[in-house]
Amino acid sequence: MGTVFSAGDSFPDYKKAPVSRLQLVKFAGASGDFNTIHLFSEAGEKAGAGGVIAHGMLVMGMVGEAIAHWVPRKALKKMSVRFKGMTLPGDEITVSGKVADVIKNGEETSIICKVTAKDQNGQVKITGSFEALV
Amino acid sequence: MAALDKKGLKFKEYTMTVERGKIKELAGAIGDPNPIYSDAGAAKAAGYRDITIPPTFMQVIDMWSGVLGFEEQCRALEMNPLKVLHGEQEFEYLADIYPGDVISGAARVANVAVRTGSSGGMNIFKLETRYTNQHGQLVMVSRASIIERH
Repeated sequence: MGTVFSAGDSFPDYKKAPVSRLQLVKFAGASGDFNTIHLFSEAGEKAGAGGVIAHGMLVMGMVGEAIAHWVPRKALKKMSVRFKGMTLPGDEITVSGKVADVIKNGEETSIICKVTAKDQNGQVKITGSFEALV
Repeated sequence: MAALDKKGLKFKEYTMTVERGKIKELAGAIGDPNPIYSDAGAAKAAGYRDITIPPTFMQVIDMWSGVLGFEEQCRALEMNPLKVLHGEQEFEYLADIYPGDVISGAARVANVAVRTGSSGGMNIFKLETRYTNQHGQLVMVSRASIIERH
């Protein structure tokens, strides 16, 4: 789709607004994930998290948002993530990505990219990869 | 170990319609301003025939299906909800998905592993869900790793 990618290219960091408790309530309703550790402090404390923690899928959603900002949504063929750390209300997520490999197959070119989501202290929340047909 | 017996377990196949309002609600909750999830004109300019779904949307139809919701998963896999973590998630995108599409979701436990460790053990359930649309076309595959700490 026009852009030429090379292995090692970085995408511009994608920065999100701080996660809020209201956002966790909205995300629970939108996604249908009503695991109480995301909603009630007592449940988060019982689970050993010290309070409410964000849904991992909310942070994955932010990673998906960043990817579709870097490459056309239609180009996205695969996205894989590993959840590495808890995200708390107030955390500011920044998603960074870089091209790991460019694969040419006839007329088609695929890029395999690494992606990471970190908070304002550099703590890693998600590591993963995505594949896009460019 | 009861957890190991879950390997091969098939969840009841479910059918859900992709709803325009739920697409907008999910994008809004993530804080994703991409107009292709809410504005048909912007989506058409991006090569779609209508608005499409954010990359993690299939979670919505899973969770609201009455089959794969968090509580239903805990019951089916006999997990303590307070000990459950989402370890890994993968989505493979095979075809476009639009509002009004009727998606059938077929989920199964592809594998189970029990780990023991110095900081306590865990059960790891690998779930695979295949999503087929009303035309019988496989549109997406989800692979999740669900962890239950002992």
